[in-house]
Amino acid sequence: MVELSVAVTGSVERLSATSLAGTLVTLSSVLMLLAAFACLGSKLFSRYVVYYAFQSVVLAFACGVVAFHFQSADLWALAFITLAVKGVAIPLATRGLLLERLELRRDVALSTGLSTSLIIGALLTGFAFLVIPPADLPHGVVATSAVALSTALVLLGGLCMVVRRHIVAQLIGWLITENGVFLGAITLVATFPFIVEAGIFLDLVAAVLIMIVFVSGITRSLAEATASELRELRG
Amino acid sequence: MTALVLLVVLLPLLGGLTVAVGASSFLTGTAMVAGGLGAFASAVVLAVRVSGSGAFHTWSGFIYVDSLGAFFALVVSLVVVLASFGSVAYISAEEERGEFSHFQVRLYFVFFSVFASAMLAVFLTGNLGLLWTLIEASTLASVVLVGLEAKARSLEAAWKYVIISSFGVTIALVATLFLFYSASALHLSADQRLTWAYLFAHGHSLAPASMRLAFLLAVIGYGTKVGLVPMHTWLPDAHSEAPSPVSAMLSAGLLNTGMYAIIRYQAIARAALGTAYPSSILLLFGFLSVFLGVMFLVLGGNFKRLFAYSSVEHMGVISVALGFGGVLGIYGALLQVLTHAIGKAVLFLSSGHVVLGYRTRESAKVRGMLGSLPLAGAVLLLASLAVAGSPPFGVFLSELTIVRAGFAGSAVVGPVLAGLLVLLLVIGFISLLATTLGMVAGDGPPAGSVVAYPKLSGRVLAAVPLVGGLAALAVLGLWVPVGLNELIMHSVKVVL
Repeated sequence: MVELSVAVTGSVERLSATSLAGTLVTLSSVLMLLAAFACLGSKLFSRYVVYYAFQSVVLAFACGVVAFHFQSADLWALAFITLAVKGVAIPLATRGLLLERLELRRDVALSTGLSTSLIIGALLTGFAFLVIPPADLPHGVVATSAVALSTALVLLGGLCMVVRRHIVAQLIGWLITENGVFLGAITLVATFPFIVEAGIFLDLVAAVLIMIVFVSGITRSLAEATASELRELRG
Repeated sequence: MTALVLLVVLLPLLGGLTVAVGASSFLTGTAMVAGGLGAFASAVVLAVRVSGSGAFHTWSGFIYVDSLGAFFALVVSLVVVLASFGSVAYISAEEERGEFSHFQVRLYFVFFSVFASAMLAVFLTGNLGLLWTLIEASTLASVVLVGLEAKARSLEAAWKYVIISSFGVTIALVATLFLFYSASALHLSADQRLTWAYLFAHGHSLAPASMRLAFLLAVIGYGTKVGLVPMHTWLPDAHSEAPSPVSAMLSAGLLNTGMYAIIRYQAIARAALGTAYPSSILLLFGFLSVFLGVMFLVLGGNFKRLFAYSSVEHMGVISVALGFGGVLGIYGALLQVLTHAIGKAVLFLSSGHVVLGYRTRESAKVRGMLGSLPLAGAVLLLASLAVAGSPPFGVFLSELTIVRAGFAGSAVVGPVLAGLLVLLLVIGFISLLATTLGMVAGDGPPAGSVVAYPKLSGRVLAAVPLVGGLAALAVLGLWVPVGLNELIMHSVKVVL
């Protein structure tokens, strides 16, 4: 049994990884990882959005569990913002403003095959456990393996951005990375004071990204261009 | 003091507020320039007071000003002043030509104000969480400015800018989390665990493993904003597609906010881990940036991209200087921050004349500027001499200091690295000058056919920052004023 602790203004809260909260957070992280793999293994834009929405709802749930455990108002706020923005608003906006408007169905701009990217994804997950072995975390928080899993999510999001050249797919990759960062944040440092602000600002970034694609979608020049075709803007 | 800090942050918003309530363009321009000048004056007073009486903090560290912060606020507020003059001239010239609609002009001034205000606020907080938030806010505000022209190319640049730098800033968030985590053993409140002064003072009791990770991630994350290679790829596009005064703000302002964050993290890392680890990371990224920046300078082409690569090179030089370390190294780095900021602001603003006059960004299509746009041509030539590091301009002095810091470093490695730096700088010098000489000299279009600013008021407004900035650079090359020297020395002591 791994004993973990969080320093909260003088007092130390302890919680074992086998407690109910720890189990629920670990379970949520595993589900989030599965959603990321599902994204990597899919070729349909509408699927990307569904998997991302599922992942965000699970993140909101995990956030709620940690919030309940530490009685933290900040984390409750983050859980609700995550559910409302990442779970509902961003998927709906992506589907309504981008997929339907630009008639995006199948993603053909892949630089590797699906199976190759899944294998690379599996290797990255193993790498995450290798660099952040749960046993090595000195005094972590609720669930130790969640930190390694969140690192894996960050890497998988990055992988999505690398192997998919279509900008909407890159957007989803970035959003997965962001989910991974927040999973790490709520498990590693539940008392981090800027977590809500960080959440709001990164949601704003997502909104800006969606808006850029939306605005340029009207001219039809950006959404059809893939990264390899942007020769004029090389650098 | 609190009022002074708030003045520095809030005065740049003046222009944005006036345009938001629908004032005339003359009133907006006046408010922009007055706000910038007011912020600069407040920053000067702040620097003098902090230099005399030590660091000032209130609101449990959310406002924290020491010499280093005051120095950076001084540099960036000066850039804001130069760019405000340039903006008023450039944007109204574009509006008269019908390139920008009235809505775009209003959008420009509102977001320009927010951008300036967010950047200045970065230097006046001691809380690393708030610092992260403000840097992200400055990214978001500047995206609108980069994509303002709303053409396919500028939207692509804006997309690339926001997705790459937000990815970087997300990494910086992870760095902040690990820094916070490394202070778990300290009995500090949650906000104190993010306050720079506490972390720096307790550096030796931070957990080394997570601190090492925090510093590396901070250099990668904030390095994306700085434009360190290989995270620099957004930079040439954004600088080349943005309106020229915005390019000046990006290159001379925004890059410095990222560099400031790295300097703060380096100070904590040095206290926690010793000198070797942070220095070697900064030297690695620094040399990569200098090398790649210089290589792209050799290629030539779009002159605004060229100036952007010159920024990559200079940010690399500053990282190398921080890596050399010691009083000399950090002094050189800070002096370079100042001289590069002024030089690059002038260079980008003079490139605005070229864009308006010749309607191109290709250096091969620009010839004979000395005949067609005498003032802009002369300034472009002198400013590129200055930025490339020729005496008698300030950059020469700061680069000389940095090279000296290298020679003063460890027995064999220091001089070798310093020699390599000199070699790269010389190649950069020749390539940058080859391009700008080609633009300035030669047979240009007949006089009168190239007009950058049709109105006299625009010509005067656009000339002020060029002449003023160049004069400041020339002075800095010959003599660092006593007060400024003292401020930089105090800043060096803050982080050592």
